[in-house]
Amino acid sequence: MEMTEVKTYSKLGEALAKGEFILTGELEPEKTTDLSHTIQEAKEMAPYVIAANVTDSPLGIVTINSMAATHLIQKAAGLECVWQMTVRDVNKLGIAGMIMGAHALGIRNVLSLTGDHTALGDVPEAKPVFDLDSATLVRLVREMVDKGSINGNEIEAPPTLHVGAAANPNAEPMGAEVLKIGRKAEAGCEFIQTQVVYDLDRTIEFLTEIKKYKVPVLLGIFPMKSYGIAKGFDTFVPGVSVPKEILAKWKSVKKEVTDKKEQKKLYDQYNYEFFKPFIRELREKKLLAGIHCMAVHYPRIFPKLKDIIEN
Amino acid sequence: MVVITTKKPDEEVFEALNNFKVKNVLIVSCGVCAALCQTGGTEGAEEWSEKLKERGFNVSNAIVSDDVCDNRVMKKDLRKIEEDVQNSDGILTLSCGLGVQSIIEVLTKNHPDIPVFTANNTEFIGMTERIGRFYMRCKGCGDCLLNETGGICPVTTCAKSLMNGPCGGMVDGKCEVGDYEKDCGWILIYNRLKELGRLDLFAKLRDPIDWSKIGHQREVVWR
Repeated sequence: MEMTEVKTYSKLGEALAKGEFILTGELEPEKTTDLSHTIQEAKEMAPYVIAANVTDSPLGIVTINSMAATHLIQKAAGLECVWQMTVRDVNKLGIAGMIMGAHALGIRNVLSLTGDHTALGDVPEAKPVFDLDSATLVRLVREMVDKGSINGNEIEAPPTLHVGAAANPNAEPMGAEVLKIGRKAEAGCEFIQTQVVYDLDRTIEFLTEIKKYKVPVLLGIFPMKSYGIAKGFDTFVPGVSVPKEILAKWKSVKKEVTDKKEQKKLYDQYNYEFFKPFIRELREKKLLAGIHCMAVHYPRIFPKLKDIIEN
Repeated sequence: MVVITTKKPDEEVFEALNNFKVKNVLIVSCGVCAALCQTGGTEGAEEWSEKLKERGFNVSNAIVSDDVCDNRVMKKDLRKIEEDVQNSDGILTLSCGLGVQSIIEVLTKNHPDIPVFTANNTEFIGMTERIGRFYMRCKGCGDCLLNETGGICPVTTCAKSLMNGPCGGMVDGKCEVGDYEKDCGWILIYNRLKELGRLDLFAKLRDPIDWSKIGHQREVVWR
């Protein structure tokens, strides 16, 4: 049997190569130069996750630059990060420069994203760039890392980063999304983090479809830290609906439990009870390489998630 | 093919004329695209003559030309009314942006001091469903992909002009831009290629647009 050597540049890359079942988190820097809140959150989740994503102005609402934030969080919290890079704001020339810059700053994982359109955000008059797309950004990273070049021109000291991409199991029509994942795989995508899912059957169907591309999948989940968050998520996130029975259960906690501490305990417990069998089933079907928890500002849930993936 | 135009607010046009202290206006109205869009033609010329007179301007003449954007036609038509041109201190075109620039091209040699204005905004190269319903379906990118995308243009129909869509902003076949009212261009392409039994074309990883070929001040010069 021919053995191909897999090069790894980060803890995340190493764990994926070893086939370990992993947990990643998400951090959302805000419109501020002060990262102390985000760093605090990173420190709280650090013992439980292998890495955490750092978002790039989600919804087109401008925040501190994600590359700078990734670097500062890694340094201050000692937590490896996945730098989210959208193709919305920078052209290929700029992105290539940022990839080298990111490496020089110690960043070793990047997630390639299209990014929400500028028209949706708080700087709607800005020129939407989209010179590359999420697949061709993956290909650019792989060329720079594996071949040590950009457009065939040599990079003296090439960057070494692992590159991942997103997938949306909820997408309708599913066939289009599946073929799109095929393109990302062809471009050299090393891991996938999915959009948030709540529908188990749908998730099984989608993950089974994309299994042929042989890209490890981290399942996007969103444990809900309160009824307000659950309701808001259900109402405001297009294409994702929170199951009615969950909303009812969370509502009952809000209405019937007066003690705040007890409320928190119950929300955490209900999240555990919902996600444990959900994840177990997908894992048994060998459809997952790990979990990506997108619930920002809810670091106390991570011990429970860690428990789910370890037991 | 029609270059789709819409009317600028009257006040914006008057302001532009006043800014150049124009008193005597020559109106040049397009009899083709702008006539179809009801921003030019004979009616437009009459309408603007009235409006200008009401505001105290003199209208030295108002002509309707078949091809304001064709330098040859414009040269001929302006030569016929040379006296009116001489009596004007501003030309108002009821056409697309090409009309203004076509007039400048043929006018400035003999009349460098006469400014040319437009009463319209140029919207896009349009497909006509019927009068009053025009749709952007081509951006004139110079590197047509339609043979590979089932005849639907991703550069135009995708809000991000992505080459490898759809993106995560697609929900149930609709686009995040414009509150999920418009179709996602890449889903239109997917459905069309599915109908044609050619989803292999959809699966293809495409290169980004080559902007070095697109360039600025593009020309088609073959003789």
